[in-house]
Amino acid sequence: MSQRLTQFKEIASLSSEPIAKITADDLPPLPGIAQPPIPAPRQRWLDTYDFSLDGFSDFEIPAPKTDEDKRRLVEGFFRGLEKLFDPENNWTFVKAFRLSIDYCVRCQTCSDACHTYVGSGYQEIYRPTFRSEILRRIYQRYYTTSGKLLPAFYGADIEVNFKTVWRLLELAYRCNLCRRCVMMCPVGVDNALIAREIRKLFSQELGIAPVELLKKGTRQHLQTGSTTGMRPNAMKALVADMEDQIEEKIGRRIEIPVDKKGADILLIHNAGEFLAWPENPAAFAILFDAAGINWTLSSEMLGYDGVNYGVWFDDVELARVALRHLQIAKDLGVKKVVVGECGHAHKAMMVIADRVFPGELSTNALPRESCLPLLYQIAKSGKLKFDPTRNNFPITLHDSCNVVRLMGIVKPQREIIKLICAQPVREMAPHGVHNYCCGGGSGFAIMNSLNFAEWRKNVSSRMKVQQILAAFNDVLDPSINKYVIAACSNCKGTIRDAQAHYGLWDQHHIHYGGLVDLMVNAMAELPKPYLEWPE
Amino acid sequence: MPFLDYKGTQLEVDEDGFITEPSLWNEDLAKFIAETQEDIKELTPDHWKVINYLNNYYKQFGIAPMIRKVTKETGFDLKYIYELFPSGPAKGACKIAGLPKPTGCV
Repeated sequence: MSQRLTQFKEIASLSSEPIAKITADDLPPLPGIAQPPIPAPRQRWLDTYDFSLDGFSDFEIPAPKTDEDKRRLVEGFFRGLEKLFDPENNWTFVKAFRLSIDYCVRCQTCSDACHTYVGSGYQEIYRPTFRSEILRRIYQRYYTTSGKLLPAFYGADIEVNFKTVWRLLELAYRCNLCRRCVMMCPVGVDNALIAREIRKLFSQELGIAPVELLKKGTRQHLQTGSTTGMRPNAMKALVADMEDQIEEKIGRRIEIPVDKKGADILLIHNAGEFLAWPENPAAFAILFDAAGINWTLSSEMLGYDGVNYGVWFDDVELARVALRHLQIAKDLGVKKVVVGECGHAHKAMMVIADRVFPGELSTNALPRESCLPLLYQIAKSGKLKFDPTRNNFPITLHDSCNVVRLMGIVKPQREIIKLICAQPVREMAPHGVHNYCCGGGSGFAIMNSLNFAEWRKNVSSRMKVQQILAAFNDVLDPSINKYVIAACSNCKGTIRDAQAHYGLWDQHHIHYGGLVDLMVNAMAELPKPYLEWPE
Repeated sequence: MPFLDYKGTQLEVDEDGFITEPSLWNEDLAKFIAETQEDIKELTPDHWKVINYLNNYYKQFGIAPMIRKVTKETGFDLKYIYELFPSGPAKGACKIAGLPKPTGCV
């Protein structure tokens, strides 16, 4: 049985013992999969860092030791909290944030909607409402008259000490920001936004954020041009490599347009694709070339890396990156920007940037679109001949939360599959706008410091692995290759890690990859298969 | 951050043993990391072929090359690279070649 917390007050415990313990036995079983053991953190880590939420952490930041350090952390937290509630300081999100703090009726309908809460074996601290309720009680206790006078009566009973602050930081990074709970909430409370705003408080006020997202994330993005560290000369070299690779695979050379002024479309990928899944941007190039689209990539710093990690934790970082993206598109004079297979780039460039930049950088003046409707247009245009029998293996479709739930793009990818695959898609349960997150959303896919990846693989990815196994229930035999379509870089990275962790390829021959990869694999004119299965 | 005791100085590495300041890298340090972190007692000319390719690529481009590129340029297949660097090209070879841990969505 999972540990039940009877009181929220445990968040303030001064002990370094975790207030919740995750053990392999508590986790819901995955049929046919032997649960790998969850290793304990190294002793050196326990001596140096803070694991007092649940025994996991991504923060290689020594926990505050001196009274002065502790006081500074608590004071910074209060300053940041005041700013979250202040329209001047938080004009971007104060309204939705404030409404979510004020209107939760504590019905807990959202809890069962959360893949992490369910996937953890119902750990109290992972309820979507848990961190929100703590923040709400802190605010009541320290900033409302009733809470100051009668804290116990108003439930404003949480003391803020450095442990409360640190555990709240960790808690903000136990939510994938997938917003499935928001859809289930009868009054529209956005607990994911509350988690995100807590992250923002820490980043903007205290400079505390996962190293992968800030120092090696947005800062490296702005300084080198990409969160991977890829500079423009590297991008150009990779494009040249990709042209060679394409020639080897399809038997003819195509030129990938770079910095083409006045092209109709600027295509922006997640730069991680160039390094980890180069067959994906290569597939886009093959398709666009064959369909006669007037398009270009950009080799400007940031113009070739469409990620925007600020969307997960920091408005200032978000705006800096988004501004560069939009300015590059404007300078190229393209008719529109098309975002490749990257979910959070969809959110950043289309949904949030439109909120942050009005006028000449708004979506009206500078259109940007998901790649999926365009790919559907290409698929049904008749310009390319597809042979679905080339994709004659069982497939399921993992929906990226930002694409389906946030933007409502559900049908194009399914219509494409009908045109390019021999077997009908095996829909996961649930799917579409009701999908479960892969477990890697909001930065978790790339957060690998200390033992955080263990948490992701065992807890937040769990329901997705269960869904994948269920979708292939009757064809699990490893003599049958199977493919999980995931049109999002971070979803792919997460599924790749889960695949290795649970032996999904070794035991069941379950592989994963993008949607465009399958489209190119179905192109009748190609001399040999485009898709490569693991060995 | 942990430190390695290298010739009487404290050298900062991350929790996975990657040096945090790539500009400090030199061939002697490579030997030291190979022996203390990766349990590779002697670096042969084939080791150096991979290490130097990785280090030069990183200096030129700021990233690690794709594995396909490494096998093509060195003429070694992946199996042989794993024989040279048992913990693999990314974790073992890149660490010895002084590259930082890969970042971004990779």
